[in-house]
Amino acid sequence: MRRLRVVWTVFYLYLKQISVDWFVIFTVIVQPLIVALLALYMLRDTEGFQAIFVIVGSAMTGLWSGTLFFSSFNIEFERWTGNLENIVGSPTHLATVIVGKTLANTTMSLSSMVLGYSLAALLFNFQLTIAYPFLFFISLLLTVLALISLGLVIAPLMATNPGATVWANALEFPVYIVGGFLFPVLLLPIWTTPISYALSPYWAARALHATSSGGVPLSDVLLSWVMLIVFSVAYWFISAWLFSVLLRRAREEATLGMQ
Amino acid sequence: MDAIEVFGLKRIYRARMGVFGRKVKEVLAVDGIDFDVAQGELFGLLGPNGAGKTTTVKMLATLLTPTAGEACVLGHDLVGEPGQIRQRIGFVFGGERGLYWRLSGHDNLVYFANLYHVPPEVQKRRIPYLLDLVGLSGRGDEKIEGYSRGMKQRLHIARALLHEPDLLFLDEPTMGLDPIGARELRHTIRNLQAEKKTILLTTHYMFEADALCQRIAVINQGKIVALDTPTELKHHVRDLSVVEVQVFGIPAEAVERVRALDGVDMVSVENRDQKQALLIQSGDGAAVVAPVVNTLEGLGLRVGNVVVREPTLEDAYVRLVGGEP
Repeated sequence: MRRLRVVWTVFYLYLKQISVDWFVIFTVIVQPLIVALLALYMLRDTEGFQAIFVIVGSAMTGLWSGTLFFSSFNIEFERWTGNLENIVGSPTHLATVIVGKTLANTTMSLSSMVLGYSLAALLFNFQLTIAYPFLFFISLLLTVLALISLGLVIAPLMATNPGATVWANALEFPVYIVGGFLFPVLLLPIWTTPISYALSPYWAARALHATSSGGVPLSDVLLSWVMLIVFSVAYWFISAWLFSVLLRRAREEATLGMQ
Repeated sequence: MDAIEVFGLKRIYRARMGVFGRKVKEVLAVDGIDFDVAQGELFGLLGPNGAGKTTTVKMLATLLTPTAGEACVLGHDLVGEPGQIRQRIGFVFGGERGLYWRLSGHDNLVYFANLYHVPPEVQKRRIPYLLDLVGLSGRGDEKIEGYSRGMKQRLHIARALLHEPDLLFLDEPTMGLDPIGARELRHTIRNLQAEKKTILLTTHYMFEADALCQRIAVINQGKIVALDTPTELKHHVRDLSVVEVQVFGIPAEAVERVRALDGVDMVSVENRDQKQALLIQSGDGAAVVAPVVNTLEGLGLRVGNVVVREPTLEDAYVRLVGGEP
């Protein structure tokens, strides 16, 4: 209960801070909207075009970019502002704070899905019907869980190896493609398929597309859900180990308060 | 049981050098110190910059792992039981960092109160009380980015007190504050002392240590060079008197010439606006006045007021650390 209260407080107060941060607004709201608009214009005359596929796919780009960038800098931000020592020196585990922050980032990213949906429906009069709303909702919940878990791996990994943050930039667009956010991965060379399967964002996109666009057997949706749960649990264990390494090294190497 | 017990505490920093980081440079920051702090005591760690004060505090606040030695904080082992220690201590490091500038003072306190698991019903009473205690009542709803440095520093104190800690570490809390802000903060520290909080205060301001602390450990180059009450520390130099000579621009050569005079034990220079004060410690202050003034005037320097006075804690400190304050 106490831990949940910490997560809620961090979530609420961090959301309050990032909701007025223009970099965050651009990355998780404006950029996915631009992607959605461009994709709607480019693909609307193609055969089998489904606007809902584009809206869900562009929202995934926002969710992925948000997870990647903000998780990479979640701990560094606390260090820069001098709060990392205050957090680590408190009885709350650093990972609990990062869960609250990642949840806030994901919530911001999800708002791009709502905005994109509204834009396409109201401005362009696209028919936007979610094929299986309940299954879509479950897929969305599992997506959020998987991305938070992934964020909990990225955050200590980047904080332990500051040089690795350059990868955050390099990883953004390739995952848009191999994650199958805006077009099926079947269009890609066959050798990229194992890479897609190894990424939880791919299974998230697959579940969301299947339940929003329809036309896919339920077994396929169930497979995506199982993969999302497996990835989430695995990431959770990896993250616990990474956090213990990070905190031990930070206390030994005196990097908690480093500017 | 003492609130803090420290035995042979040591900390070495290792910095990687060179392009590939293969060369490691070691810096001994704290060199096997021993001390203890009683329950309810206001204990001072006094020393120049880089003496090892902050490193000592960070080790005791569980933020740094000691390289060697042992310490018990509130009966818990520093290395083995950091979780039990963290719930019962509060700490404040000097400076403006360590707050969320886009949030209000009140929101910052709510945030940290939850990190310390302060129940919501207690927060409702405690946060307004603390804002009032540190003189920020009525300003709690303003964003931190609009706070002055002194207000931020006082909010740090409030943050550290949210969970009613038994032990408080204050690391140079008045650093960078204007005289009024620093005085208000010292007043707050006195109030905490009156509440029987155990406080470990680090400072390099002599008068602050003298005015607040019951005992002071003087630390220099990682070692404790003296540990006593302010009165007893002053007694270390009771056989001395201090000659203060006002000068207007003094070259290093003149300081060396004065230092070489018979009867002069120690010389330091203090900048005072456009002037300098040459502080000379001597067993017989009156006897060295004439040779000192003659030496300075012989070098063509303009000499102002000359005063012979009793030694202060600062003089004791200068003698202990062997340099300028």
